Amino acid sequence: MASRPLRTTEARVVRLPTSLRSVDSRRAPAEAPELWVGAHIRSLGSATLEKLATRVQRFTPRVSLVPPDGLLLEVKGSLHLFDGLEGLLREFQSDCRTLGAESATALAPTPLAALVAARFGEPFAVTNKAQLIGRLTAMPLAPLRWPEDVVERLARMGVRTIGQTLRLPRAGFARRFGPEHLAELDRLTGRNADLRHHFQPRERFRRRRELTYEMENNDTILAALAPMLTDLGRFLELRQAGITELECRLRHRHAPPSVCLLRLAAPQANVARLTELLGERLNALVLPEPVRSCELRSGLPVLRELTSNPLWQPGEYGGASAGSESSQLLERLRSRLGYEAVYGLQVLQGHRPERAWATCEPMVASAPGPASPTTNGAAGSSRTDALAPRGAGDAVAVGIAAAGQRVPWAAFRRPLWLLPTPELLEELDGVPRRRGALRFFGDVERIETGWWDGGEIGRDYYTAFDLYGVQLWIFRERADPHRWFLHGVFG
Amino acid sequence: MAPNSALARLLEHPGIWRGTSVARTEVLSSGFAALDERLPGGGWPRNGLIEILTPRFGVGELPLFLPVLAALTSAPMARSAVWVSPPLEPFAPALAAHGVALERVLVVRAPAALKSGALWAFEQSLVSGACDFVMAWDQRPRPKQIRRLQLAAEQGRALGVLFRPLQAARESSHAALRMVVEPSELGVRVNLLKSKGGVRGTVDLNLTAAGS
Repeated sequence: MASRPLRTTEARVVRLPTSLRSVDSRRAPAEAPELWVGAHIRSLGSATLEKLATRVQRFTPRVSLVPPDGLLLEVKGSLHLFDGLEGLLREFQSDCRTLGAESATALAPTPLAALVAARFGEPFAVTNKAQLIGRLTAMPLAPLRWPEDVVERLARMGVRTIGQTLRLPRAGFARRFGPEHLAELDRLTGRNADLRHHFQPRERFRRRRELTYEMENNDTILAALAPMLTDLGRFLELRQAGITELECRLRHRHAPPSVCLLRLAAPQANVARLTELLGERLNALVLPEPVRSCELRSGLPVLRELTSNPLWQPGEYGGASAGSESSQLLERLRSRLGYEAVYGLQVLQGHRPERAWATCEPMVASAPGPASPTTNGAAGSSRTDALAPRGAGDAVAVGIAAAGQRVPWAAFRRPLWLLPTPELLEELDGVPRRRGALRFFGDVERIETGWWDGGEIGRDYYTAFDLYGVQLWIFRERADPHRWFLHGVFG
Repeated sequence: MAPNSALARLLEHPGIWRGTSVARTEVLSSGFAALDERLPGGGWPRNGLIEILTPRFGVGELPLFLPVLAALTSAPMARSAVWVSPPLEPFAPALAAHGVALERVLVVRAPAALKSGALWAFEQSLVSGACDFVMAWDQRPRPKQIRRLQLAAEQGRALGVLFRPLQAARESSHAALRMVVEPSELGVRVNLLKSKGGVRGTVDLNLTAAGS
């Protein structure tokens, strides 16, 4: 029994060199805990840095992006898998070439040193921290990419290389050139740790299914999509995410594929809801031919914020505001009627009636409604930012919560309904008529404005009742033909 | 006095149900005192369907609902107020001037190609529980569909208003309240055709007094 632990120690001792040898021990003893390959991408070609990073993640999971043109890979653990450094770099270069990018690489125990050496462009492979400073000494300052005035001031002092910079007194250097540059030098030489964010590829869900026979019926197509939707649910559940976009592509024998795009107001991960919405969309779709295969593609997964269910029913006194219900309603309406079919309203500054309002994205925020009209001045101005005006308006959107006070001409009467475009009225002896004579009522209001942006109007607005007691808002042009138009109905 | 108080005590018996108080627990003031007096419970029903019959669009039916629209949208826990396929564009500045909180207003326009899309949107909005107030114009629902709408409004705790032409007065309807709105000298004349647990009759309203 006593000899047993001894044997295990022996075993350990024996095993140690083998594990060391796996880390390319032919070149240098691997003393540094990390080995970084820095890549300076000279030209990206058609690729993007993200694409490249996704590709080179096969070498190591620890890939960092240094925009706009740098990549860092921590390769210590994976060198032996690719037949040492030469093998790995060869594969790396061939990956870059496949994507149409050109790069220069370097190996160093610290990420910054690897990157700087790669930017410098001469062959550089250091695996030992002790040798690092010696190899960096002769390098100029340019690859560090410090601000020009710093480099210039250093050059005026006669400091042109990294080695000379490292020899400067630390305190004085920090005082003159800023502590951030000193910290960078420390990270370069490995004196301080250099923490990098690992690149995480953006994932999307994508599944395709060939159907065993051609399908025409929307319900059977939805049934064929069901297993893929279940997969999607699992995919989202694993990532605690929801999606705001789902595309369903149905391929036919001859006709171009039918696409059905689902856009959601809030991230959704519930498969039943997604199936229901997709079903609505499919019902509205007219298929030119039977479907041979179908494909599901998701938009970017969005991290979901999970909340508990409220105790009260929405709308009950003291109950939760109906945030989720209203976003669900919005999605349901839009999935059937189309995206543009549902909109909100907002007030714009300006006197021209056509440009005094605009449509906007409806609010589905679960924020409580405006409090009393006397206290919501600040709330109103902050809420304006959340609304992106869609229509071209005169100027800025008025704070809507406070719009009750801030409509500029609330003193005048305005109709509740506006015609999309003014309707020309027939005339009899210079008096307008609409389905009979009109009875004028009240004062005239002149609106003459808009000369600065080409949308000039000059109109005299009247109110009039028609024969049926409908109150109309009509105007007469100030300019020459002096025609009469109907522009609004008071309701 | 004695027989009267005895009668009052008798009427407090929980087993006795009277027509005027029929299970309408919540009402919303219409903003017009003369109308509130006539409406069962003293206002518009909180949940349910109102049918408004007008001889023509624009005779004063929308101003009738502006006070309640303003009150509902600016309440602290307000839900949406949906306008389903209005015949013209609602003029936002005028609504804002009447105190309507525009951020709660949602306009839905069903594409013309989609048959009965607007009616579907009306029912979905009523039943969703996300709306306080839903208005729809000029749909031609069958009596059975009106019953569905009434149930949807009760389920979603919403007040639905359906504007229809006067010719529809002949059809039967399950709406909680049915009234004809006609223009008059002062403003509008409201004729209650049907009101659950209320009295029928005519009211003249001055819109300018309460409207602006």
